[in-house]
Amino acid sequence: MTAPILALDSVTKRFAGHTAVDRLSLAVPEGVIFGLLGPNGAGKTTSIRMILDIIEPDEGGVRLFGGPGAGRAHSARIGYLPEERGLYRKMRVLDVLVFLAEMKGVERRAARHKALTWLERLGLAAWRLRRVDELSRGMQQKVQFISTILHEPELVLLDEPFAGLDPVNAQIVKDSVLELHRAGVTILLSTHIMEQAEKLCDELCIVAGGRKLVDGTLSDIKRTHGGRHLVIGLDDGAGGAPAVFADRGLVTKVDDYGHYAELELAPGADAQRVLQALVASGARLSKFEVQEASLNKIFIDLVGTDAARAEARP
Amino acid sequence: MRKFWAVVRREFVERVRSKWFWLSAVLGPLVVAAILIIPLRLAASGGAKRIAVVDGSTGAFGRRVADSLARGGAFRVVARQPTRTGLLDSLTREVGAKRLDGFLIVTDATVETGAAEYRASNVSSLRDIEELRRVLGLLAVNGRLERAGVDPGTVRRAQLRINLQTKKISGSRTTGESAAESFWLAYLMSMVLFVVIAVYGVNVMSSVLEEKTTRMVEVLVSSLAPFQLMFGKVVGVGAVSIFQFAIWAVGGRLVLTHRAALVGSLTAAEPQMAFQLPHVPASTAAILVAYFLGGFFLYSAMFAAVGAMASNEQEARQAQQPVMFLLMIAYLSVFALANSPGSTYAVALSLIPFTAPIAMPVRWAAGSLGARELVESLGLLALGIVVVTWIAARIYRVGILMTGKRPNLKELARWIRA
Repeated sequence: MTAPILALDSVTKRFAGHTAVDRLSLAVPEGVIFGLLGPNGAGKTTSIRMILDIIEPDEGGVRLFGGPGAGRAHSARIGYLPEERGLYRKMRVLDVLVFLAEMKGVERRAARHKALTWLERLGLAAWRLRRVDELSRGMQQKVQFISTILHEPELVLLDEPFAGLDPVNAQIVKDSVLELHRAGVTILLSTHIMEQAEKLCDELCIVAGGRKLVDGTLSDIKRTHGGRHLVIGLDDGAGGAPAVFADRGLVTKVDDYGHYAELELAPGADAQRVLQALVASGARLSKFEVQEASLNKIFIDLVGTDAARAEARP
Repeated sequence: MRKFWAVVRREFVERVRSKWFWLSAVLGPLVVAAILIIPLRLAASGGAKRIAVVDGSTGAFGRRVADSLARGGAFRVVARQPTRTGLLDSLTREVGAKRLDGFLIVTDATVETGAAEYRASNVSSLRDIEELRRVLGLLAVNGRLERAGVDPGTVRRAQLRINLQTKKISGSRTTGESAAESFWLAYLMSMVLFVVIAVYGVNVMSSVLEEKTTRMVEVLVSSLAPFQLMFGKVVGVGAVSIFQFAIWAVGGRLVLTHRAALVGSLTAAEPQMAFQLPHVPASTAAILVAYFLGGFFLYSAMFAAVGAMASNEQEARQAQQPVMFLLMIAYLSVFALANSPGSTYAVALSLIPFTAPIAMPVRWAAGSLGARELVESLGLLALGIVVVTWIAARIYRVGILMTGKRPNLKELARWIRA
């Protein structure tokens, strides 16, 4: 496995009286869409700000592109879309884009050329000399999205990119994210909308109260925290199936109806091994389904218990 | 460094492009010209007050007063009448009906004891009162001397007026500046410095606030250091103010070269009276520029910190009050500074970095200043700028990312230490 493009190493940030981020470690491999999930106030934005060098961690470190040093040193390779959005309201659209690209180290003329190309592509060419506050909200968001990726970053950080978007614009952002992904850009996106994360993210990390609850690939997380239920349908010959069901190494709980059974997998057991055992036992299967819990359910289970624990603490 | 210049450039271009910039470029000199011309114009045109002289004197005193006043130009004597019953009432009615501006009552007692009375709709014009007092005083003295048997020719000779010329000694050279010129120059400079520092300081503040409220600042600070951003803003806005000055200077130059024509069309006053500011020596200009830049950097840093502390315009307006107050101290002291540029108070104001930018140019214009004092003041100002900018940058760095409640002093102290 190659070195992660972005790594947090036991990063901690405290603000007056409370710990916003508590010993958070994570690794984002190159080329993935990485979801940073958590309820409001979980420390997502604080983490992103530390990655970008907007604030310094009290403890721990950030590594980017395989080397030390947080965001500012690498700013030309990073794009950032903050959670609450805004642009210079009185500036012309093209000027804003050129200025922000200059901030990322793009030379003025190149910036202008790229900005025009992007405006053309997103249907905003006619608006290039208008002032930002003459644009509709949706158009402003497009402009801001352009500003995030104009300098062709290798890593893009999107803080709640879908917040406050209507379905049409949410679709545009989603398509753009996937387009970047196909182009090989690594994307870290923070969100509390699990449906979006489930569809988009390859890997994710769920945080709450500043601490990491779980991280890994989407399928790993589903396997370890969700996919513990099997639904099995049997044709006439049950064969040795009951014996398999009784194997406590594989199954902890069984609800057997003869032609239909619901199983709960034993901790650490793999659904594939149950399938192999059933086939070997001579049972004729009409249905074998791993029932995955939705990410939403996993999230609520995890964050809910965490919140409950937090409340139980004195 | 390129990013820093991009920030400077943006601040400059966006401001110079705005309507407000050109409006103030044009209106600024007009307002200053108005401040200089209007009082003169009012004095010149409204000066000829229509008055009556109520003559209760037995000799020629009343007539001489009327003649003398009529010659002075400030008054037009429409009637001279001896005292009779009911006259004062009827004159009062005339004043009430605005057919008359006022009336002067003189009697023999005026010569003997100096008692006279002036009743008018407006008795607050110092210029008029001074003129009355001068004429009455002179003629009363004449009357008294004549009564004592002094030859009128001797009296006339005794009254030859002193022609006192004032010339400022700057360094050890005598300059052509007169006292009035010095004062007006000092006053004008303090006004311009105050207004420009305040206006452009507030510009820096709102620029910081805009980036904070739109969250642009997060994107910017992830690309360049907060200090670079803040300093870029200050330099950019500062460049705009210099540009503004340049426009004013060129405009002022044009006004001065054509002042005769201008003044002739606007006032009845003689041209050399209307503008007493043609003589601005290069040294004065250099000091003005040096202290303007110093003051601007000092106050802009503070205004930037204020902008970073506030979350909206309203909060910012409140938070800027202490800074404005600091700036105002020197401005409000301009008369004291011009009258006694060497006083302890004046020296103190010119050593304190917060007041020096206005106090020093005023003192320089009003009186001479030693090179040592200038160096000390500039040195302290430079030190002040470094310290204040450092503190402001610490506040800025934390403040731009904070939302919600404005910090109290304790929290501010923590931001600075952090």
